[in-house]
Amino acid sequence: MIGWLTTTDHKRIGIMYVVATMSFFVVAGLLALLIRAQLAVPENTLLGAHAYNQIFTLHGTAMIFFVIAPFGIGLANYLVPLQIGAPDVAFPRLNAVGLWLFVLAGITVFCGLATYGGAAATGWTAYEPLSDIVVGTGAGQDLWFVGLLMASISTILTAINLLATIFLLRAPGMTMWRIPIFSWEIVATALLILMAFPSLAAVFAMALIERHLGGHFFDPAYGGNPVLYQHLFWFFGHQEVYVMILPYFGIVTEIIATFSRKPVFGYVGLVVAAFAIAGLSLGVWAHHMFTTGAVSNPFFSAVSFLIAVPTGVKFVNWIGTMWKGSIELSVPMLFAIGFMLNFLIGGITGVMIASPPIDYGAHDSYFIVQHFHYTIGGGSMFALFGALYFWFPKMFGIKLSEGFGRWVFALLFVGFNATFIPMGFMGMEGMARRVYTYPALGHLALLNAVATAGAALMAAGVVVFALDVIVSVRRRAPVSDNPWGGYSLEWMTSSPPPEFNFEELPPIRNRRPAWPADAAPGDSA
Amino acid sequence: MEWLANPASSGGLAMRADWYIFIGAGIAVGIFVYACIVWCLIAYRRRGARAPAQFEENRPLELFYVIVPLLLVFALFGVTLAYELPVDRVGDPPNRIAVTAYRWSWRFEYGNVTTTGTPAAPPTLYLPVDETTEIQLRSDDVTHSFWVPAFLFKRDAIPGMANEFDLTPNRLGTFPGRCAQFCGLSHAQMTFIVRVVPRTAYVRYLATRGAALP
Repeated sequence: MIGWLTTTDHKRIGIMYVVATMSFFVVAGLLALLIRAQLAVPENTLLGAHAYNQIFTLHGTAMIFFVIAPFGIGLANYLVPLQIGAPDVAFPRLNAVGLWLFVLAGITVFCGLATYGGAAATGWTAYEPLSDIVVGTGAGQDLWFVGLLMASISTILTAINLLATIFLLRAPGMTMWRIPIFSWEIVATALLILMAFPSLAAVFAMALIERHLGGHFFDPAYGGNPVLYQHLFWFFGHQEVYVMILPYFGIVTEIIATFSRKPVFGYVGLVVAAFAIAGLSLGVWAHHMFTTGAVSNPFFSAVSFLIAVPTGVKFVNWIGTMWKGSIELSVPMLFAIGFMLNFLIGGITGVMIASPPIDYGAHDSYFIVQHFHYTIGGGSMFALFGALYFWFPKMFGIKLSEGFGRWVFALLFVGFNATFIPMGFMGMEGMARRVYTYPALGHLALLNAVATAGAALMAAGVVVFALDVIVSVRRRAPVSDNPWGGYSLEWMTSSPPPEFNFEELPPIRNRRPAWPADAAPGDSA
Repeated sequence: MEWLANPASSGGLAMRADWYIFIGAGIAVGIFVYACIVWCLIAYRRRGARAPAQFEENRPLELFYVIVPLLLVFALFGVTLAYELPVDRVGDPPNRIAVTAYRWSWRFEYGNVTTTGTPAAPPTLYLPVDETTEIQLRSDDVTHSFWVPAFLFKRDAIPGMANEFDLTPNRLGTFPGRCAQFCGLSHAQMTFIVRVVPRTAYVRYLATRGAALP
């Protein structure tokens, strides 16, 4: 136990990231069930407005800052040194600081629940002046800002660490153009973090100064401007969207290639697309502000459309990887396919709302709630479960069950779509987001009932997943070093890997060191 | 869905066209990609232990699928501009209403007539049909958003800044309106009612200094 608490081993830190993020996932998921319970019927009185506002704020905050983003970073902690043939990350102690700062950050935010006045209740965006002390809640809002400041520092430290690791600690033979796609996506993600998170740290520090030291940055009575908060927040916020998806693009790429028994199609194109997305994402933030009347809508609309192109490239590359392959529908592959089917809907609705005339109707309605859940939930969360099934044998030397896994996938996939397809129509029928109650107008009652039923199915899927972990860990069926026939270096060491990862470094002569040499005539580079 | 199919303002009609074009393009792209994925899953399902051909690139094809989506998004951007510019244009119509959002209701000022509401008793905004009315939108406290789903339109009310836009309702009726930007405790009840009335009724409403219309 003390060994785990004081470790600087990247694998243990990576596993603790996964355990911590999955714990936050359970909490944030329970909050989502409360949201759906409250909205199951019109004019419901199960929860009051203030309780509901805290719940949706904590749900969004936790899923974004303490589940989806840090899971990708935590998995990178575990995988990147293994994939590039390094004994550990470049700065192992800094890595431990990052982990514990992250755990503390999450606990700090949730501590708001124990304060007089409750936790933050201003949404995950915490717009000024709503979040200002005059009109926001008290200590809960402060704990929220402080917790997320800590999370942003933790994320920046880990991003520096991962970049240094990938640039400096690659094994002999592991040239940049042989790095597995997952690690490439982490390079792009880490660069994005270094550009985006300082803006978050700055704006939350400004908000704290505004609340307690008379900052007046956002107060028009003193020459401040509430729109400034939105600019600084979304300059971070929209890049955070890509911090929450690029690692998952990497996961899906690795899974699809492995289960199609083919190399990644268009490897160079995929890497270029990741950096194109990262670069373009610096110029799209104000598409969250089309309805403010304070930004150049055509500019931000045009850049937002452009970012669909590299994302489309990735889709074609995944299809190209499956094309004429030998596809095995194991559980990780099912989740990768679920990712593609769901994320495509998120992408298409994303292009729609990048058009301001559509956004004028859709903004801040349930249409938006549907859109971003299709990217973060239907996309990243499905890839997250795919990653758990794919790398669990490597992490613990234990394979999760295919039988249970199929049930987890089916329940999550059906439940997810039943929950979120109706939300697009709710938005078109005039339901605003972040409302704790709604009138029985149009089809709102029916749509919300279906959404709540879908949420229950998803909850069942998560319960089956927990059962799978318990049963598989008890059964302890032996597993080989490379149970899936994976290509990258992590599959060439024992499961779980030894301290410092490799007893002896395998030769790296192409992009697929674990692929039998005579069977890979097409491999280049 | 009813409002998307049948919007109640001329701006709404322009935005409906934009919605329909994007929905059509989205369905076409979606069906194409889904078909490719499903085809792979059916045709290339693992049969036996044969190793498939190990190709990993096709430069002409890769160039093709960069250029085609680029052309598509250029076209969509053109469509966007065509429908956004008329909606954003602010003229100088004779009808002007100052709308002020505050926690958690609305104040409508027509020059000599002012109405306010409460979360329990939302106020009514009267608009003359087939005429353009300029709305001057402000906020007294935090950021709100003026949303009339039947017009497919919303605009934020931001403290310290006035937002101006034109509305041209094209049919008579009563439509719900509400705050779309989360503004705290009673955000869910920050609603209002839009009544689109004939010119004569609008004039009578202003002349009787806000006595409710029958």
